[in-house]
Amino acid sequence: MDRRGFLKVIGGGLSVAIAPSLITQTLRAEDGRLYKTYNKVALVDSKGKAIKASSLQKETNYIFAYPFLGTPVLLVDLGEPTQKDVKLKDEKGQEYIFKGGVGKNNSIVAVSAICQHNLTHPTKDESFFSYVKRGQKSMAAKNGGVFLCAAHMSVYDPKAGGKVVSGPAPQPLANIILEIDKDDNLYAVGVLGSDKFHDYFKAFKREFKKSFGSWRKAKEEVQEKTTVSLLKEYSKDIIVY
Amino acid sequence: MKRRELFKLAAAAALTSATANAAEKKKSKESKSSFNFALLPKNGKGKRVVIIGGGWAGLSVAKRLKEYSPNSDVVLIEQRAHFVSCPISNLWLVDAVDLEFLTHSYLDAARNNGYTFFQAAAYNIDRKNKVVLTTNGDVKYDYLVVATGIDYDYSQWTKGDIELEYELRTNYPPGFMTHSEHQVIKEKLEDFEEGNFILTVPGGNYRCLPAPYERACVIADYFKKNKIKGKVILLDENPDITIKKKGFHSAFNELYKDYIQYVPSAKIEKFDLKNKKVETEIGDVYEFADAAFYPRVRGSKLLEIAGIAKDGINKKEANIDPFTYQVKDDPNIFCCGDVRPMAFSKSGNTANSEGYVVARIIANLIEGKKPTWKSPHTTCYSAVSTDPIRAISVDADYKWDKTNKVFTFANVKLNEKWQGKMGLHTGKGLLEWAKGMYRDMFD
Repeated sequence: MDRRGFLKVIGGGLSVAIAPSLITQTLRAEDGRLYKTYNKVALVDSKGKAIKASSLQKETNYIFAYPFLGTPVLLVDLGEPTQKDVKLKDEKGQEYIFKGGVGKNNSIVAVSAICQHNLTHPTKDESFFSYVKRGQKSMAAKNGGVFLCAAHMSVYDPKAGGKVVSGPAPQPLANIILEIDKDDNLYAVGVLGSDKFHDYFKAFKREFKKSFGSWRKAKEEVQEKTTVSLLKEYSKDIIVY
Repeated sequence: MKRRELFKLAAAAALTSATANAAEKKKSKESKSSFNFALLPKNGKGKRVVIIGGGWAGLSVAKRLKEYSPNSDVVLIEQRAHFVSCPISNLWLVDAVDLEFLTHSYLDAARNNGYTFFQAAAYNIDRKNKVVLTTNGDVKYDYLVVATGIDYDYSQWTKGDIELEYELRTNYPPGFMTHSEHQVIKEKLEDFEEGNFILTVPGGNYRCLPAPYERACVIADYFKKNKIKGKVILLDENPDITIKKKGFHSAFNELYKDYIQYVPSAKIEKFDLKNKKVETEIGDVYEFADAAFYPRVRGSKLLEIAGIAKDGINKKEANIDPFTYQVKDDPNIFCCGDVRPMAFSKSGNTANSEGYVVARIIANLIEGKKPTWKSPHTTCYSAVSTDPIRAISVDADYKWDKTNKVFTFANVKLNEKWQGKMGLHTGKGLLEWAKGMYRDMFD
């Protein structure tokens, strides 16, 4: 059975044996709700070389595009394990489960870097959205260790599946489901939780025309591989206050 | 008139009278009074919720209602053709943002969010028959949201002198309501040669607490950069800066020592506009080359006309239950945004967040559920300089103080450091905040 077929079965509510490729290194809703698969995409560096999960610098913001060319994702090794089996609810009240981080330490997470409040997201000029290290003080979060959107002070808990800690965000961040193969290579395979991709594509039409040539291009699904960069190299300014 | 045109007119008249007849029949069942209903389509099969006022509260209620209660038939009534943002307008005064940044389309808001935009001025509410009377026809409602904002209250300055009030409104506009006022202030700055530019901070719970201090900063910045021999005199009715005190004081002292004279506890008692002088209560006289006088604020006139106003901290604000936003003797009418009597910050962000709360309350009522109160949220940035923009900010919720029966700030987070990287980041944050809010209302 292929991956997609497998998930469909889960979505249908049947109890199914766990698919081999998903045994340990995944974050997903057990019952398939609020989970959508996209192309399985390898995470690579600027030279096209596979990114090893264990090579990520701790508490450092990395960025890549997924599941569409125009949708940014932040990848962070938190350096500490996440919580497991966190029950979350989206703004419409739909429940789902965040299984936990991936990697040896269950400490690697990836989230859609589009703020659930007003769609603020990293751009080449600046990023109001980032992971703020533990111990780094900011106006919105005294102790750091959070995903922060500085524009309107939405704070999310990366260890609890992007749950809202404070601020106006109406629902948790959407998580990007990662897999790690036996050679420690990272892949993105799907999106967990409610995303705002539709609103996002609508709101930034003109900007996409500038950055991608057309907004249709920005909406294309990422194929095979996606390049991971350091956020501080991708954005001229990471904004935290 | 050509034959063809005449024919067209006749056809249009026939159509109008046919629809009018239908409306007439329907109406006679409802009441004996004569309405002339506007012809509006339905965007939902359920209850009709009419919102008067397309500001930060009204736009937010309209959008969220279609989201929380998609069957509702939502109509937004607004008299202006364009939305021109009051937040961020201080930056426009000194060319730090352009007019396009502030201007947004009501049609976009309506077509993106599935509600009806009806451009008309509401001039009264027939509460018995549940009809809003407007300049472009009457509109029936099941639930009504009044989000008409403030009006200026000149009474403490003018004591009934209508000519003086008119002169102040026209020649020295406050710049806190319509964009025409801002345009006048911008022209005043562009034409300014030398001397004092007076700004005032009113007492009471006025619209946008930090704005007069922010405006003093950006005007001083403009004078400084353009080598204009000008000084901003900021006459504040309050004993000290009302918000972000530390940040503004340090900006006044460190950036604009020779350009801003801050005068606390200074209430104007007498205007001598002919000789361009004002006198304060304690007898100090200030001369000015130009000015923008910001008086106290009150609830918009419509509340008074419709009989849903009361005097509180400010005059003629909405007479509502502070937790459900319902008018006290008319629970089908809700009032939110700057018409509210609660001592929340009269700011765009607060009104916008309140829109979510009120939309949820109405959606719950429609579904037969109890209304749930949630605190509105204030996120508020102020620039202290431009090019590059440096800013400070505050973020807060509200809580109910049972003993004193008032709302007070809760979870206050202050960021008053405009210096260094922090101030520059907050400056960028100010613009992104605004873009996010415009997306929230129009996309």
